[in-house]
Amino acid sequence: MLETHGLTRRFGALVAVDDLSVSLPSGGVTGFLGPNGAGKTTTIRMIAGALRPTSGRVVIEGIDAASDPAEARRRIGYLPESTPLHPELRVDEFLAFRGRLHGLHGPGLRRALDSAIARCSLTDARRRLIGVLSKGFRQRVGLAAALLHDPPVLILDEPTSGLDPSQIQEFRALLRQLAERHTVLLSSHVLAEIEAVCNQIVMISGGRLVARGSLDELRARAGTANRITLEIEGDPVEVLRGLVEVEAIRPLGRVDSWHRSEIAGGDEGRLRTAIAQRCLERRVPLRELSPRPLSLEELFLALTTESVTRGGGR
Amino acid sequence: MSGTPAAGARPSGSPRSEGAPATAAMRGAATRGPALWGPALAIARRELLSAFGVGAGWVVVALFLLPCGVVFTVGTFRNGEPASMRAVFEAAAWILLFVAPAISMRTLSDELRLGTFETLTTAPVGDGSIVLGKFIAALVTLAAMLAPTLVLAAGLEAHGRPDWGELACGYFGLLLAGALYLAAGILASTFSASQLVAYLLAFFFWLTVALCCRLLPTIASAGWADFLYAADPLRRLRDFTIGLLDTANVVYFVVLTAFFLAASTASLRARRSA
Repeated sequence: MLETHGLTRRFGALVAVDDLSVSLPSGGVTGFLGPNGAGKTTTIRMIAGALRPTSGRVVIEGIDAASDPAEARRRIGYLPESTPLHPELRVDEFLAFRGRLHGLHGPGLRRALDSAIARCSLTDARRRLIGVLSKGFRQRVGLAAALLHDPPVLILDEPTSGLDPSQIQEFRALLRQLAERHTVLLSSHVLAEIEAVCNQIVMISGGRLVARGSLDELRARAGTANRITLEIEGDPVEVLRGLVEVEAIRPLGRVDSWHRSEIAGGDEGRLRTAIAQRCLERRVPLRELSPRPLSLEELFLALTTESVTRGGGR
Repeated sequence: MSGTPAAGARPSGSPRSEGAPATAAMRGAATRGPALWGPALAIARRELLSAFGVGAGWVVVALFLLPCGVVFTVGTFRNGEPASMRAVFEAAAWILLFVAPAISMRTLSDELRLGTFETLTTAPVGDGSIVLGKFIAALVTLAAMLAPTLVLAAGLEAHGRPDWGELACGYFGLLLAGALYLAAGILASTFSASQLVAYLLAFFFWLTVALCCRLLPTIASAGWADFLYAADPLRRLRDFTIGLLDTANVVYFVVLTAFFLAASTASLRARRSA
């Protein structure tokens, strides 16, 4: 389990992370989202131990990172965004070095090395110089280094940047597998990736927690679960006039006489029933009436904008 | 990437035993890892692998040996000259001012430039271990640099009767002085991701110290002149090169080396808070 309690980091007058308290249960992938400058990297660096918080605490598997930093760091595998490696070393030399830093040696180190190399499909590259590897292979080396000491918590900062689509698919499969045994905190700008692999999302803006929960919970929180897509033959504003369940109509496009629009309202079920009844009453041809949950992109914008409007952002 | 984790040996029944790549024993081994020396030696080993693997270390060794060889041939290895390495040692004392910063400049600057410093600080490694590991590697490089000059001493042995006590004392002095220059160079390398800046900081610092200690006493008061005389590393090193093993000189180099290593550790600690 990974917890932060009132985590705050100031750089002079700038408050990069402000009183951030989150708790990640063991296992699963948590997506860490926020606009540029939201404080994601600062938060991750504090959790990983690269940066000292101005105030607040990081607790990893019950160990306070401030009072026992070495033990806390043993429980973390960290892959920074830029995947820093030593280009002059061979893959197995670099991994052995990282293993030794974690106190692994002898047969234990060899087993860990073989395992990490196999899990990240580096067997054919284990004697190659890191400097000549492709971006994808370098990412694998970075991930293997993070996995080497079998940490319960994995922190991955933009792990798929620079990977090609097939490598991204492979990485996601690996991530799902890792989530069975590790608590994974995944920071990514690729919202589709978060949507595809994360079972929980933590969203920050202006250094503050904006929202936390599953995608469905966040949609409900943003009030965006009650949207439907409607396609009828006729002007929806005219057809739906007077329906109390309808709060807003947003045109999405028109093909010939067919109008496609997004309807927002109260309860999604009642809204769809009311619209269907209205179309029947007025004998308006209807060919789509479906719930339209917001994409993560829209949700992200809705929640971060809401945060700024409330004065939560800086 | 593989979807098949390597077979592990987690105790069965553990919720994470399926496909566990690293065993509980391995995690136990990690927990029992030495706090200071283990990581320091791992860092030193990696440093040496990097330095000598790509050839930079060999270049530094060659750059040091070349002028030493010239001085030996011209100043020592001649008929009528005493069978002594003094001239080489005295030249080496000055050459070290140039070469030691070249060894130390990459220690932390390169980590900062590559971003590997981030992964180093997020491993269960103390700042003291990082500095110690870098220092050990730099010291081994220095020793590897001095070792080939033993061939010169062997040449003296073949043609004369050198005082091996004096030679040993000279080498000991060079190691002590080199250690001091390296420790200061490591501190310089904690300040910048640029190896050039780290080199210049270390080189000009010692050049300034050497010049101040030699030139300022002529215009300084008696008290200051005594202080500058005592502070001169080259003068103290000269005592070693003539076979004089003075405890005060040993203490001078050891204490200042420890000071710069402690300052380097503090500088790294400050980086985490910056």
